[in-house]
Amino acid sequence: MKKSHPLRRVVLAGAATVSGIVLLLSLKPASDPASASAQGAAPQQSVAGQESPQGGSAQQSSTGAKTVTGDVAQTQYGPVQVRITVSGGKITKSEVVQIPSGGRSTEVSNASVPKLNQEAVAAGSANIDAVSGASYTSAGYKKSLQSALDKAKASGGGSAGSTGSAGAGSSGSAGSSSQAPAAQAKTVTGSVAQTQYGAVQVRITVSGGKITKSEAVQAPKGGLSDQKTALAVPKLNQEAVAAGNANIDAVSGATYTSTGYKQSLQSALDKAGG
Amino acid sequence: MSTIAGGRAARRQTLRRIRPRRSPAVPLLLAVGAGAAGVIWLWWSNTPSIADDNSKILNAGRITGLLAGYLMALVVLQMARVPALERRVGSDRVARWHAMSGRYTISLVLAHLVLIMWGYALQAGKSFGDIVQQTIDSINQLPDMGKAAIGTGLLFLIGLLSMGPVRRRMGYDTWYHIHLLTYAAVFLTFWHQLSTGNEFAVEPTAKTVWYGLYGSVTALVIWYRILSPIRLNLKHRMRVEAVIEETPGIVSVLISGRKLHRMGAEAGQFFRWRFLAPGMRLSSHPYSLSAAPRPNMLRITVKAIGDHSSALRDLRPGTRVWAEGPYGALTAGKRSRGKVLLVAGGVGITPMRALFETLPGAAGDLTLLYRANTTQDLALWDELAAIAEERGARLMYAVNSPEGERPDISAETLSRKLPDIDRHDVFMCGPPGFAQQVYEALRGAGVPARRIHHESFEM
Repeated sequence: MKKSHPLRRVVLAGAATVSGIVLLLSLKPASDPASASAQGAAPQQSVAGQESPQGGSAQQSSTGAKTVTGDVAQTQYGPVQVRITVSGGKITKSEVVQIPSGGRSTEVSNASVPKLNQEAVAAGSANIDAVSGASYTSAGYKKSLQSALDKAKASGGGSAGSTGSAGAGSSGSAGSSSQAPAAQAKTVTGSVAQTQYGAVQVRITVSGGKITKSEAVQAPKGGLSDQKTALAVPKLNQEAVAAGNANIDAVSGATYTSTGYKQSLQSALDKAGG
Repeated sequence: MSTIAGGRAARRQTLRRIRPRRSPAVPLLLAVGAGAAGVIWLWWSNTPSIADDNSKILNAGRITGLLAGYLMALVVLQMARVPALERRVGSDRVARWHAMSGRYTISLVLAHLVLIMWGYALQAGKSFGDIVQQTIDSINQLPDMGKAAIGTGLLFLIGLLSMGPVRRRMGYDTWYHIHLLTYAAVFLTFWHQLSTGNEFAVEPTAKTVWYGLYGSVTALVIWYRILSPIRLNLKHRMRVEAVIEETPGIVSVLISGRKLHRMGAEAGQFFRWRFLAPGMRLSSHPYSLSAAPRPNMLRITVKAIGDHSSALRDLRPGTRVWAEGPYGALTAGKRSRGKVLLVAGGVGITPMRALFETLPGAAGDLTLLYRANTTQDLALWDELAAIAEERGARLMYAVNSPEGERPDISAETLSRKLPDIDRHDVFMCGPPGFAQQVYEALRGAGVPARRIHHESFEM
């Protein structure tokens, strides 16, 4: 029976909600510490793999393949970051480690990134054509690619052992066309595992009976899944290299993707074994 | 009761029966708050970082969406007629919660819609102005969004029709039946939460919790709004026994049935009544019991205000009655003191009459103050006088003077009539303006707010 003040209540509830949400948003860091460290850790893991007695070291120097990650290029839709593998002065592989995602951006990224990767390898420089309909992404890609090339040059041609080298693993994946590495690094792509949220497909590089590299060529996408994919896939890649088999832990919060990943990984291992 | 004489022994006996039941409102509100915190935590733990303004907008959209999804379930729960809410918290208070949280939820839904679509538009390289096109695209491209769009449209329609000025222009029954579409709207919007909600796509536990929340609310609605009334009516088989005109414009309806005392109704409570007579089948209205329930008879007393209450006069004996209830928290359980003042304004006498008859008390413990326009409008007066005499209770009335002047109900007059008024529990039922006036007078006379028990169906 206390006097009610409807207007005051509306204003209070609105103000409390808005300030609560603004506070929550501002408390979140601008970049993700977990995924950044996961991405940073992945190459180190493969280096560790190579340093093991069984053959890693042998593959490394013979081709002088080197992995360099370019600077982050900010675009209107989000950051773009490119990682290239340089071998014998040529780009043997180009891939993105960061790309705009979420909703429409995912579609754009999915359509443009494979083309840009291809172009980068073909051109051997950052002088590549923009993909139509993805001009911002293309521009960011070129920028990051250029910085990666600059770094590769600065660290001195083919000398091995630069930081973050993933060595033979990457050269193996590009090796289908030309440079056959000294050791039998072999790239095998697993079968597609369908999950509730989309297809998962894993490609591994096996060398000396060990997984030296694991990557997802397909992972759930579309609006809401790709945030999770971005978080889970680097971890899963890392785990696969560390474990050397498909018996890896699921990433919490990405159970379906993890399960699909393990399935595809197992099939890749089966193929590599046979 | 009449055998209990006044005096200390009798008072002690009365007091022994008084165990005020606390309203579970505070624990319930705390639980609701904890749930909201859990929902926020779900978002928090699934969002590693927010890189730019675009993500900020999207994440604000996610938070509002999650909260709206959570509150939506509670808004439905509030109207599930759960006895703990209806009889302990009080139907009136729960209805006000429902209106308040309903408005808030609709606002959250609107914010969620705008923020998410704005965020998607930005992501796709468009601006805020393309939000409509973006919404259409998202409906076409994302799973379950077509359903969600229809459901959201329904929600906005229902929200619009529930706004004061619009609602007052509609008949209650029309409004009520459109309002029932909320169930469809909630069902339609449920699925997009799971299929496109970031938190649910990646967190199977969250999905389970959400199914649990909506599943239990659905179960409660089915149980308490459908199955319980069916069982109640099959068991008690109520019919109109007689219709009695008490005063011009006020009628009592006597309702017979089997084992009516087993319905668990207490004095001060009400049922929602549906009379299966031509033209009345579709509407169900709340009317208080105006006498303590007897094994074979219930009575309601109603003032002809609207179409429904006016039509009661013409009910034929033998008409089947469908009742839902009992509801309401204005019962003896609220009492914390030996002495009780009952205040009735107009037809608000009905629950007070039932309480006046049944509240335990020694002679001199009970006082009833009855306010009406004229002495002719004092419905049930003869019964009240008989009860007062039998129980040794005080009965007072306040009517307008012959010149139409309103009686003076103030802290001073109340204190003069009842010098120990500050040691009373007060039960009150009457029109909002009257209730407000009396409330202020009582507070002025030193009655603490927690001992003023009042039910108001004003939103």
